Amino acid sequence: MSLIATTILAPLSAMVLILLLRRIPAALALTGAGIGLIASLGLLSGAFHATGEALMLPGLPGLPLRLAATPLTALLSSLVAVIGGLVLVYAVGYMSRDPERPRFFATMLLFVSAMQTLVLAGDWVLLLAAWELIGLCSYLLIGFWYRRPGVRAAATRAFLVTRSADLGLYLAVFILIASTGTSDIETTLNTGGSTAVVAALLLLVAVMGKSAQTPLHDWLQRAMAGPTPVSALLHSATLVAAGAILLIRTAPMLPPEALLMVGIVGGITTVVTGLIALGEGDLKRLLAASTSSQYGLMLVAVGAGVPLAALLHLIAHAAIKSSLFLGAGVFQHSRGSTLLAELGGVGRAKPRVFLGFVLSALALAGIPPLSGFFSKDAIIAATLASSNAPLLGPLAVAGTLLTGAYMARALRILWHGDGTTRKVAGLGWMGSGLAGLVALAAGLGSAFPAIESLLGARLPEGTLAQVLGLGAASGGLLLGWSVRGRRLLGPLWPWAQQGFAIAGGLDTWVVRPALAVARGCEGLERRLYDGVLATGRLGLGIGRAVRYSDEQGIDRLISALVRGTVDLGARARRLQSGLIHRELAITVVGTALIFATMLITLLAS
Amino acid sequence: MISAQGLFIAFFGLAAVCFGVAVFRTSSMVRSALALLFSQTAIGAMFLSMQAEFLGVLQIMMMATEMSIMAIFMVMFMMDPGGLGKMEMTHQKGLSLISGSIAFMAAVAVAVFVDWGPGGASPPDAARQTRELGIELLGRSMLIFETAGITILTAMIAATAVAIQPLKRSGDR
Amino acid sequence: MSIELLSALVTGAALFGVGVYGALSQTNLVMIMMGVELMLAGALVNLVAFWRFLHPDTPAGQMFVLIVMTVMAVEMAVGFGVAIARFRARGSVEMEEASELKG
Repeated sequence: MSLIATTILAPLSAMVLILLLRRIPAALALTGAGIGLIASLGLLSGAFHATGEALMLPGLPGLPLRLAATPLTALLSSLVAVIGGLVLVYAVGYMSRDPERPRFFATMLLFVSAMQTLVLAGDWVLLLAAWELIGLCSYLLIGFWYRRPGVRAAATRAFLVTRSADLGLYLAVFILIASTGTSDIETTLNTGGSTAVVAALLLLVAVMGKSAQTPLHDWLQRAMAGPTPVSALLHSATLVAAGAILLIRTAPMLPPEALLMVGIVGGITTVVTGLIALGEGDLKRLLAASTSSQYGLMLVAVGAGVPLAALLHLIAHAAIKSSLFLGAGVFQHSRGSTLLAELGGVGRAKPRVFLGFVLSALALAGIPPLSGFFSKDAIIAATLASSNAPLLGPLAVAGTLLTGAYMARALRILWHGDGTTRKVAGLGWMGSGLAGLVALAAGLGSAFPAIESLLGARLPEGTLAQVLGLGAASGGLLLGWSVRGRRLLGPLWPWAQQGFAIAGGLDTWVVRPALAVARGCEGLERRLYDGVLATGRLGLGIGRAVRYSDEQGIDRLISALVRGTVDLGARARRLQSGLIHRELAITVVGTALIFATMLITLLAS
Repeated sequence: MISAQGLFIAFFGLAAVCFGVAVFRTSSMVRSALALLFSQTAIGAMFLSMQAEFLGVLQIMMMATEMSIMAIFMVMFMMDPGGLGKMEMTHQKGLSLISGSIAFMAAVAVAVFVDWGPGGASPPDAARQTRELGIELLGRSMLIFETAGITILTAMIAATAVAIQPLKRSGDR
Repeated sequence: MSIELLSALVTGAALFGVGVYGALSQTNLVMIMMGVELMLAGALVNLVAFWRFLHPDTPAGQMFVLIVMTVMAVEMAVGFGVAIARFRARGSVEMEEASELKG
């Protein structure tokens, strides 16, 4: 059995088993994820030994489906498997009191196998299918607690926003397949000229939707209505990573104009969402804004022309943000809410969890020797070395500053206060998952050189970058710890609370018109329905009139006909009097007529 | 102009017609039967005058017998055989008169307006007629008469069967 | 056309007409049969006249007359049988009352 197939099918079969048996969902989920993890690590080791694996399946005529385990895809596959496995371990503890565990674990496993398919995809059709599937899983998982108020709306909003942005991906894929005639991703990356520019811009639209870049960043914050393992896996490490993964894979094709656009979008996002995080009042929403901001930094790195830096930051960020979310989940269970106002001082109550939280926060800010430092350093160096350095460099540095600021703010709020807490169930499971991810967050930096040699690329280095990065990070941390967020933002604070909506934001420009159109369509449909009913009633009326005319007119006609025939018969009956003399008379008259006819014919001829 | 034969034919014909009319004018049954008898006899005399001796004799003999029997039946079945009561014994008289006159006139018209062709020669004498009639009867027309014979037999049996009283009745027949 | 033939034919026609009148106007079955007799007699006269004045040498004409006479006899026999049966069933042979075959 090929390793690629195992990676994808192991979680999928576990999902089927859970749906069939509805028992021991946790054990089945961990088994399935575990097998998938082993398979993907096998793929990674194969990549290290330069033995790539590929799988080809029959698809559309002329467009077969391909799965390929190149060094890049094997790396991403093992990332997904590792993070997925650890988050599932955490979820066993987090969901221990929830009555709908089979549904949860089944959907999570479906997501894992869909994400693996997307990461290992070698051709566009399979990638599109997997893209849609992860969108569906996101909808299902965000709306997991659908009975709570606001959850369904959040899930629908997330689905609609990402789905509308996916139009860009569809158009880009159609353009690429049409221009090259094949759906193999590697082959289509050889396109050039204006096709490449158009395709690249369309891909950027899809990435903006999936990775929650400005102006489409709002859905991610609302998606925090789902369970925390969902936020940890989907909305920090894998699903939103799909956008960045797309850009990294198609980086050879992106022309300089598109790269500039990518960098600008990323840069604006990193600053805007960083400011939002600074003013957020909910811990999970703060972390969501932070996710958008970090992905903005990754887009800046791609825009600077060094996709390797973006990839490294993606890997580091996945581990870091997941562990931050898992920690937030423990805090949520112990205080019963995620609002920062109510979480004050919970760090003192759960010191070990808080320690892990602090480590991950520092890693995110970019303090050496934690993993985040190396990736941030690479990004800043890349921007300084690129051709658009004056534009991208300051944006990257600002992003780093803001990262430090809001993380320190969160740490301050979590620490200062009284340490009351509730009993948290499943802490053992949660703790183990969290510990694994924190270890990864801290230690992945040492693996980066190995990854560089695997992919055969080198990171740009520069002391200026290191100094700028370190300075920005420390400055930000200091600011965040000492100054309140409100004071830091100053006049921008109310705007930040609204999520930096411009002129009413998407609500006024998109949502309200869309709802108005929907209401108009509903009214139209109702009127059409009334029209159809009226036609039906008209038909019934016509039917009634026909029946009336049939009964009155035709029936009377027929009965008159019948009466006439009966009368005629009665009159004819009189001939049959039974009296001999009458019959003789008739005979005589008849014979006379016959003779007359004979005579006439004889005379005429 | 008119030969003796023609005179005889005309005389006997007139007699026959008159007696025929008398059959229906009288109200006495026996007189009707007798009138018919005389009418048929006159017809037989016509045959004789037309030199069809065998036929004439046959006619007179047959009709005499038949009319007698008819007279007996009259007496049996009539309500008023003597005709002494003045009951109206006719119906649809108008229609009958018209029919009769139309039939008469049609036949006369046919007789007058049709060209009957040249007259024939004189007939052979009586003995020869009879001989030839016999040869004809037993030769060419044998089948006809055989059939007629069977038919007559059947008719006689049928008439007898119709007229016989049912055997179930006890007592005299 | 000879006058003898004409007179014979006229006689036959007259007899036939009287016979028609009688058959249609009489109420009694026996009287109707007398009318029929007269009609047949008229036909006979015509037949003999045709034989005598048009084809005297063929005996086929007389043959025809014989057959008609036979038929007359048979018809009278059957008719009287029916009259007896009717008289026994109903007590009279008046045709005014014989409407059992009324349709």
